[in-house]
Amino acid sequence: MFAAALPLLLDSVSFFLVLLLVVLGLLVIFGLMNVINMAHGEFFLIGAYTAVAATHAGLSFWWAFILAPCVLAVIGWIVELAVVRFVYSRFIDSILATWGLSLILKQLIVVIFGPTSQSVANPLESTVQIVGTTYPAYRLFIMGASIVLTAGTFLLLYRSHLGLTIRGVIANRAMAASLGVNTRRLDVGTFMAGAALAGFAGAAMAPLMSVDPQMGTGFLIPSFLSILVGGTTSFIGVVVGAALISGGTTGLSALRDPVFAQIVVFSLAIVIIRLFPSGLFGKR
Amino acid sequence: MFQATNVSGGYQPRSNVLRGISLALERGSVTAMMGRNGMGKSTLMRAIAGHLPHVVGSIRLQDQELLGRPAYRVAQSGVGYVPQGREIFGDFSVEENLMMGVLGKPALPRVLPDWAWSTFPVLRERRRQRAGTMSGGQQQQLAIMRALVGRPQLLLLDEPSEGIQPSIVMEIGATIRRLALEQGLAVLLVEQNLELVCTMASRCLFIENGAVVDEAETAGLSQETPVVRRYLSA
Repeated sequence: MFAAALPLLLDSVSFFLVLLLVVLGLLVIFGLMNVINMAHGEFFLIGAYTAVAATHAGLSFWWAFILAPCVLAVIGWIVELAVVRFVYSRFIDSILATWGLSLILKQLIVVIFGPTSQSVANPLESTVQIVGTTYPAYRLFIMGASIVLTAGTFLLLYRSHLGLTIRGVIANRAMAASLGVNTRRLDVGTFMAGAALAGFAGAAMAPLMSVDPQMGTGFLIPSFLSILVGGTTSFIGVVVGAALISGGTTGLSALRDPVFAQIVVFSLAIVIIRLFPSGLFGKR
Repeated sequence: MFQATNVSGGYQPRSNVLRGISLALERGSVTAMMGRNGMGKSTLMRAIAGHLPHVVGSIRLQDQELLGRPAYRVAQSGVGYVPQGREIFGDFSVEENLMMGVLGKPALPRVLPDWAWSTFPVLRERRRQRAGTMSGGQQQQLAIMRALVGRPQLLLLDEPSEGIQPSIVMEIGATIRRLALEQGLAVLLVEQNLELVCTMASRCLFIENGAVVDEAETAGLSQETPVVRRYLSA
């Protein structure tokens, strides 16, 4: 029984950890700039296609883990300067503007790579024995990498001077500026870092799923649900939110099928949001 | 050292909450602004701090023009701002609040100086406490010290006595007056409490309809003094 359940558990955990990378970027951008970034799924998508482009160009897949965050940091920088800075603190406008942007980015991918799905060869074919079950080494690798990045983000936000400054701007932007904090530079840097995290997640998932222009949306929706369930105010909240959404989706997909899983998870998410409007760990 | 010349403006284009305010401040001196509500005192503070969207005129600190600079550059140029309502970071500890005061200043080391803790001893006692759980007077001391650790040349204090016990107010006032002398700090104070103004400041400007209409030495000012009656009583 345990041996049968273990691969499923590991699948949930690896989905959870990669989802968390997307969620963290989305959340910090929302906290700092009050911008709901609907194009965040496309940042993930571009990360995956960076892996496709890198392997097609003859590079080793591992380069994607360096290239994708860099590409996305540059794209994040351009997007921040060209679009996002004009819609700060304009909640609805930010949704519309970044949604438009997500359509443009998605179509650009179609124009460049075509509408059909692509695949990336698994760079670590070997398997590992874990208490009686064999499990793909690559999945274990991305789990480890995601844990490192999540822990790094946590330490940066809660244990460093830069993180204190970012949290200060989130709490009171005008006052932080009056203490000398360059809030604009912090906004741009944070947006770039959030995009880079999504890019890393996209590259990490590329060998595990079919890479097609819709895959960004497939990650954006569970990301939003994680934040809505966990609340926007705490790090622990989104971790729990992402765990519930990813665990629920993976588990129920295995029990019946993915469509059934989505219906149940979405419905439960709606119930939680109805009962806890600011999330399970939200304030007020 | 600090000079505001013909400063006009407001929150909307061409609005005139401020109508040609001019004032000059010296090092080591505390200057108070008094006047009825809505006359533009806090608006002038916001204008100096770089938070007023539409301003014309000139605001100079040590030969640097501050007007037109974003708020963070004004702060880095040497203006410490303690706004009305204090605006401390309620979820941060006392120490983290004070750190915010030095982190925005590239020229300062990222450590708190000893005098940050010795000036207001209550801050040392409550170093790890969440700032939002402290009393109004303690929060005010924190907000003032958060501005001071950034080593400003000009300190803007907007209604420091608001919602604070009178005994603590006078204590804070005496400390600010001493620090201004010791550090060569110019202090601009907006205050309704005449007793605090007389304790802290040497000079008082009277503001009406967005302009300086009169000024007086604080020595000997009382509720019965003619200027006070003219510009303050309802």
